[in-house]
Amino acid sequence: MTASSPMGRPRKPSMLPVYLLVAALLPLLLMPLAAVYVFAGRGGLSAFVNAVTQPDAQFALRFSILMAFATAAVNGVLGTFSAYVLSKFRFRGREALNVIVNLPVAIPTVVVGTSLLLLWGPIGILGRVLDPLGIQPMFAPAGVLLAHLFVTFPYMLGAVKPVLDELEVTYEEAAYTIGASRWQTFRHVILPALRGGLFSGTLLTFAHSMGEFGATVLVSGNLRLRTQTAPLYIFAQFEAGNVENANAVAAVLATLSFVLFFLLLRVTQRSAPRAG
Amino acid sequence: MSILLSDLTKRFGDHAVVSRVNLQIEDGELFVLLGSSGSGKSTILRMIAGLTPPDEGRILLHGRDVTYLPPQARGTGFVFQNYSNFRHMSAAHNIEFGLRIRKVSRSERRQRSEELLDLVGMSGLGRRYPDQLSGGQQQRVAIARALAYQPAVLLLDEPFGALDVKIRTQLRESLKSVQRRLRVTTILVTHDQEEAFELADRIGVVDRGLLVEVGTPQDLYYRPSSEYSATFIGGGNVLVGRAEGGTIRLGAASFPLRSGDPHHDEGAPVRVLFRPEALVLSKHPIAKEQDLHLLASGRVRESVFAGTIQRVRLDVDGLQGVRPLTPAPAYGQRSTQIECVYPSDPGSPPLVPGEEIWVGVRQYHVLQPSGLRLLIGLDPRAIDRKILDYGLRLAQTAAGPATLLGVVPDRAKDAEARAVLEPLLHEASRQMHNLTLRVRVGIPSSEILLEAQEAHAELIVLGVRRGRKGHAMLGSTARTLIEQSEVPVLLVQKPRQLISRILIFTAAGEPGKRDVLFGGRVARRTGGVAKVIHVIEPGSEARGSQRALRHLEEAQASLEQLGVKNEVQTVEAEDVTQAILQEAEAWDADVILLGAPSSAERARLRGRDVGSQVARATDRPVLIVPRD
Repeated sequence: MTASSPMGRPRKPSMLPVYLLVAALLPLLLMPLAAVYVFAGRGGLSAFVNAVTQPDAQFALRFSILMAFATAAVNGVLGTFSAYVLSKFRFRGREALNVIVNLPVAIPTVVVGTSLLLLWGPIGILGRVLDPLGIQPMFAPAGVLLAHLFVTFPYMLGAVKPVLDELEVTYEEAAYTIGASRWQTFRHVILPALRGGLFSGTLLTFAHSMGEFGATVLVSGNLRLRTQTAPLYIFAQFEAGNVENANAVAAVLATLSFVLFFLLLRVTQRSAPRAG
Repeated sequence: MSILLSDLTKRFGDHAVVSRVNLQIEDGELFVLLGSSGSGKSTILRMIAGLTPPDEGRILLHGRDVTYLPPQARGTGFVFQNYSNFRHMSAAHNIEFGLRIRKVSRSERRQRSEELLDLVGMSGLGRRYPDQLSGGQQQRVAIARALAYQPAVLLLDEPFGALDVKIRTQLRESLKSVQRRLRVTTILVTHDQEEAFELADRIGVVDRGLLVEVGTPQDLYYRPSSEYSATFIGGGNVLVGRAEGGTIRLGAASFPLRSGDPHHDEGAPVRVLFRPEALVLSKHPIAKEQDLHLLASGRVRESVFAGTIQRVRLDVDGLQGVRPLTPAPAYGQRSTQIECVYPSDPGSPPLVPGEEIWVGVRQYHVLQPSGLRLLIGLDPRAIDRKILDYGLRLAQTAAGPATLLGVVPDRAKDAEARAVLEPLLHEASRQMHNLTLRVRVGIPSSEILLEAQEAHAELIVLGVRRGRKGHAMLGSTARTLIEQSEVPVLLVQKPRQLISRILIFTAAGEPGKRDVLFGGRVARRTGGVAKVIHVIEPGSEARGSQRALRHLEEAQASLEQLGVKNEVQTVEAEDVTQAILQEAEAWDADVILLGAPSSAERARLRGRDVGSQVARATDRPVLIVPRD
């Protein structure tokens, strides 16, 4: 009873840790997020519209979104397939493969860019063979796609494989005894069960592709109106001293990311209770 | 018939989970596979559905060999314990799934799913999703789903295991009525004997991968032929008495051997089953009357009130020389215990522990005589007639079925081996009826171990060659068997006429209960005597010898329970092997029985363990009993 107030009700615990946390996060997370918008809006709406409608900016934004869609589409299919194989098949080297496919999250993106150049570049191992045929994936949109596929590969896998692992084998067995082929079972039984994982995996892939910088800057050659993605454009404009242009595109990119993020949050929240 | 299984076998690694199951199931039958968990019953079901490939044997559904067909092509309906309804499909869509796969038109599908929902008592709930249904309702949907495409057979794997008791009873009734209506051939797997009794037309009892017995619920309850089904199904007492002049002698009591009872040789052990409800308890001595035989008197050990009845466990003393099989006696226990029920009566006081009571028997059932299941390993290239005769003699005295096993290195030699072994089998069959011949291909030791496991052999008989100086040579087969067999191995170099003197050695350290019990069993079957010798090192501390004494006392009690004449002795010796050999000579033992080396000793001694050393140094048969 010593800890309770004279009213007999227990005393509320101190809120101090919460204040401390907010104070610590303010300069670390919250203020930078706000700063993007503050600076983007500084010159007024017309300046913002002007900055965003510049041909270079327009191209960079469209190119980024296109790349993100392409990456999400390719890795959506490839990642789901890998998750299915890694989860449902038992073969030698499965464990090793499991580690390898998850490696891209651990490798610095700049290293990814370098190794892609060394493989596909004009003097690279494969590039040397392709070059005489007129195929040059590096410093071209194809190179950017390759880089994004590499970097974002684990996200799809990470979202889908746990769901597949949890899905009891009896669902498939039930479908087989009912008469469904392997493909029909995948199509009608497994795929619908993966909906949540597929959606969040695709969104994650899309978001990461939109923001990719390290690998992209190396493999794209940063060619404006050809291979320049939005993050590269922002960096280039900053370097050239055009802070307004950079800020405007940064604000658009940030907004897109926020939208994707909240979508993701809603999907995962909705699919969580159904998984049980 | 709808389902025919022949010699169906499945191994996981070198462990046989299903061994040579043969079964015929008639059209429209509801068959229940009953067994404890891990007995292999679900594996049988999964093999029928094509979810687990068999290693050997054939599966025929309606005369069509489906052994190697994928599950999709078999047309079975399978119901899982966890329902496994597709969560993103409504109940109706789940049911229609099989029809959708078969490209049945939408209207027909709709009609069929409504019929089925109605049939399983779920009409009007077709639009619900699985997570909006209770467990019982989900399982009803799963059953309807499995029936939708009119499967050849319906297979249910512990379908009610995840449901509570009340729902389970309702579902059982539904399943039974649905099955009766549609007359679909059905196999249900369960470990719940009540469920089996309520549902089954026939029950198959499965024990460690073996289909032990098949019969109607009534047959299995009142007239089981094997000990396993007698004790697995229902509570009961199985006592072992002796056949004596047309009666079964159970201690002081005797019961007539009736004309319908299985034949027993004079003096042979007879296993008698008494169901608790067939026993009559009285607080006063029972007078002999028609159909009521006095069994014994005893004292109440414990009594439990269970509503309409009291479950009572008695200590009975009038049963000397009677071995109880169930309830299983504890090692070293002298008195016999019996389980019975006593009708509850609010007017009269309940039975209390210590109370004197008389037990009468209204009904008893005599089990089929079973002997020791023997596996006699033979080398088809060099048959040793003396070893074979010894093995057969042993099989005959132990009244056991015996398997003659020849192992050949490759398929090509198979016919050759059969040509050698079949005449021998034929000849032996004139004296013994339950002999079988097996020829396996592979490495002798591993094939012997596999066969022992699959046939549930209780004793492996193996001849060993005579080396220089008259000592036995332990080949790699014998060595592997000593180390790895889970079944006792009898190594025979120079056969003796009989096994009537069994010398059991238990060395210092952990006393081996299994050795003593197994030795006692063999002695009981062969009518022999046993001598238990505990070897201790000289100068060992007093505590050790105290323990030895207690151990020997327990051994003696257990042998007496088995009705085996015995003597016990402690011997002090430096060299254990030497002591054993001397004692065997002095007592003229027919068999020297020793415990197998433990895994630690195996690694440390590498074939120089006591068992292997004795086997090398003597020409008497050596029986190695593995540890528990």
